[in-house]
Amino acid sequence: MAKKNRILGGAGEKVLLTGNEAIARGCLEAGVVVATAYPGTPATTILEKLGDVATELGFHAEFSVNEAVAFEVSAGAAMSGVRSLMATKMLGVNLIADPLTVISVTGVRGGLVIITADDPQQFSSQNAEDTRFFGMLAKVPVLEPVDGQEAKDMTRYAFELSEELELPVFLRITPRICHSSFPIELGEIHPPKRNGKFLRDPKRFVMISTFSRPRQKILNEKIAKAGIIADTNPWNRTFNFQNGRAVDDNKAYNTFGIIASGMTFPYVEEVLEVTKVNARVLKLATTYPLPQNLVTEFLREMDQVLIVEENDGVTELLTRALAQRKRLNVRIMGKDEGLIPMSGELNPDLVGDALEKLFGVQFREELTEPYIKAEKELVSQRVPALCSGCPHRASYYSIKEALRRKGMGGSIMGDRGCYNQGAYAPLEGIDSCICMGASIAMASGISHSGTNEPVLSVIGDGTFFHSGIPSLLNAVHNRSNIVSLIFDNSITAMTGHQVNPGTGVNLMGVHTGNANLKKIVEACGVERVQVINAFDTKRLIDAVMEEIDQPGPSVIISRSPCALVVERNVRQRKLKMYRAEVDLDKCIGCKVCMKKIGCPAFGWGDDPKPHLEILPHCNGCGLCVEMCPFGAISVPEKREGALGISVKPREVRE
Amino acid sequence: MNIILSGVGGNGVVLTTRIIAEAAVMEGINVRVGEVHGLAMRGGTVVSHLRLGHDAKGVLIPQRMGDMMLSFEPLEAIRQLKLLKRGAKVIINNDPYIGVDAHLGLSRYPDICRVLEQIQETQDLVDVPATHLAVEAGGVVMTNVVMLGTLSASRELPIRREVLLEAIKSRVPPHTIDKNIVAFELGEKAFQEWESSRACQVKQ
Ligand SMILES: Cc1ncc(C[n+]2csc(CCOP(=O)(O)OP(=O)(O)O)c2C)c(N)n1
Ligand code: SF4
Repeated sequence: MAKKNRILGGAGEKVLLTGNEAIARGCLEAGVVVATAYPGTPATTILEKLGDVATELGFHAEFSVNEAVAFEVSAGAAMSGVRSLMATKMLGVNLIADPLTVISVTGVRGGLVIITADDPQQFSSQNAEDTRFFGMLAKVPVLEPVDGQEAKDMTRYAFELSEELELPVFLRITPRICHSSFPIELGEIHPPKRNGKFLRDPKRFVMISTFSRPRQKILNEKIAKAGIIADTNPWNRTFNFQNGRAVDDNKAYNTFGIIASGMTFPYVEEVLEVTKVNARVLKLATTYPLPQNLVTEFLREMDQVLIVEENDGVTELLTRALAQRKRLNVRIMGKDEGLIPMSGELNPDLVGDALEKLFGVQFREELTEPYIKAEKELVSQRVPALCSGCPHRASYYSIKEALRRKGMGGSIMGDRGCYNQGAYAPLEGIDSCICMGASIAMASGISHSGTNEPVLSVIGDGTFFHSGIPSLLNAVHNRSNIVSLIFDNSITAMTGHQVNPGTGVNLMGVHTGNANLKKIVEACGVERVQVINAFDTKRLIDAVMEEIDQPGPSVIISRSPCALVVERNVRQRKLKMYRAEVDLDKCIGCKVCMKKIGCPAFGWGDDPKPHLEILPHCNGCGLCVEMCPFGAISVPEKREGALGISVKPREVRE
Repeated sequence: MNIILSGVGGNGVVLTTRIIAEAAVMEGINVRVGEVHGLAMRGGTVVSHLRLGHDAKGVLIPQRMGDMMLSFEPLEAIRQLKLLKRGAKVIINNDPYIGVDAHLGLSRYPDICRVLEQIQETQDLVDVPATHLAVEAGGVVMTNVVMLGTLSASRELPIRREVLLEAIKSRVPPHTIDKNIVAFELGEKAFQEWESSRACQVKQ
């Protein structure tokens, strides 16, 4: 691979960067000293990119154990006077709420910027929450870029704003920023000034109630000041659209207005260009607090204003409140009136639909008969699956087989990770997925509910470190009768193979030793712990059956590296990749193998008679060999030493 | 110009989009790339929206505004069909990926001929055996480069051949450059063959 690192391009150069890369570059231009994150799609690559250059440029970058820890690490650095970043997907903001709502009270010294990636379309999230509410909750300003260039420039500015207000600042993005690419003009990289020093100031940093109470007033003043600063924020702009053309003037000759909040502006722009609806548009970059004067002046001249925003109607809510307070007679429309959808991401077509309802203009090109027919008759959703050779498949097979043999039903509380794909048929290996770390505690709750069925839980190594440990301690302390399985692939796979404390190497590439999962479990007080190779189905089935009969919590660590990591190692070390083979004389085409484990490397052939076919991406894990009742499947050599292949995340990353 | 690239995880949709986008930047063309790629696993639907030209602002192509499509998998082309203008060119790798879910009846994979016919009903279809050609060139992984060759030969892109090749070279492992050029040329040839076969049909 060509390894020229694009985020290190020279000032003035124009390069193609993803939004996440642009934000990473913005951090370099701001001279960030400490950058932290916990992986979470779509924000993950920000820290990966920073991790790639941290040693070279001389700053600290880490994947922390969870988001709360990440935020506290960054906050500590910012309190010591240096610029500090924390990046997360929006769900991680739930975890930082506790420290955030206090650190807004203490304030910071060096700039502290929190990148939060919301996911309105739920491409990869369990909910579609709107982080702006956390801005309001903690009284922390929220900035929103519309493209990669703004994402980079606003990141740099966010540090300045944070220092001016001595308050953390949110930069809110969505997958359409993170994973989209834009040509970006680069600025100057500023070397990190690693000269932090924590200056004692108990009345500011010791937030016992006597010290905290007086600081509420300071916080309220700060957020009011943020509203005034927002009035002159250069990314808040008003345009008039006349006959499909944007005029960047300040005159108010249109009485229909649109507030394009956050990244919806390009959609609004495109729709106005095509439909030629005349409108005055406020492109809003500071979504909390609202730029009071700017919005008031905008509303004053309008009869009707459409608010275009993704996720919840936060701008709508704040605008209505402002209009009421200023006694402005303007009709404010958006989600409440059903013009803008309440959920899901926006796109030009949906913005066009709103204008169609208002003015009868048409933006969306109609779908004619053949297109409708093609969609209706031919399109079917693909069912996601674990990769071929994934150790989780072997673990699920064994758990379900153990429960089947026991014949007593049972529930399996799941967690969050690649193993979620095991929820689909045919494995159907989990009965819940709520949030990271919920599995063990929820299983405990069920076990105390009076059920007489076995209660199991499944959690990955990454998620166990993130938030599973307290639940396991709790299960021991309160004697829950559960069997907890830890699927240990020694990496945080789902988000794209990031390091975690079990991996042995950190983001900076430093070997810091593997956290010993078994010892941690034992130290929690669990008496019955065993470590089993995930592909040793016989032992795993026996172990699960045995542990179900034991009172109290027990833990089974089912261990084998992620198949993609194995594949990459095999490739890099030029080892041979063995694939399964089907004996056509023995295969009777019964599909039992498919029905049991549904591996995506299974294909189907009809010549000369229906039979299993093994697709080229098989990596020879050998699980299917045991599935065939007729012994039709074999692997020339069962992948030896799958456990012995060390995981080298720095090479593994794309 | 609006281009849709579609396929399943593992096809290289994201990389291919990036290559075209980088070539466009080298040509001084403004670009926007909108991508959706899910999680680490393979086999799921992947689509990217590539917009070229000074008017490219938002990252999403509105319904029926696509000028062409490059699809690495037939069913995935159908899935994105509603993004295309009528008559827009669709370059397709005619190698279906039928997941185990379809074999188990959990989802449906339609008859491949039916898929191609359906596309042909509204679009200008160029179907290419890209997987086979890639194997011929030295490996399945070069399927996307074959497709890029076909795309380049179709003259739909405002990007010169050398520039596209340059972008490919900067993205593939150096020791595979020669093989990749072979793959690219096979893709070009596939287009020329398609064109001449169409010319015959027209004459008839
Ligand atoms: C609070 C929160 N942070 C981050 C994520 C994103 N996320 C989903 S699964 C996962 C980690 C999974 O790692 P692990 O438990 O090791 O399982 P694996 O994918 O390796 O099987 C992460 C970080 C999330 N869903 N919620
Ligand atoms: S990425 Fe790894 S852990 Fe995730 S499904 Fe694939 S093999 Fe399993």
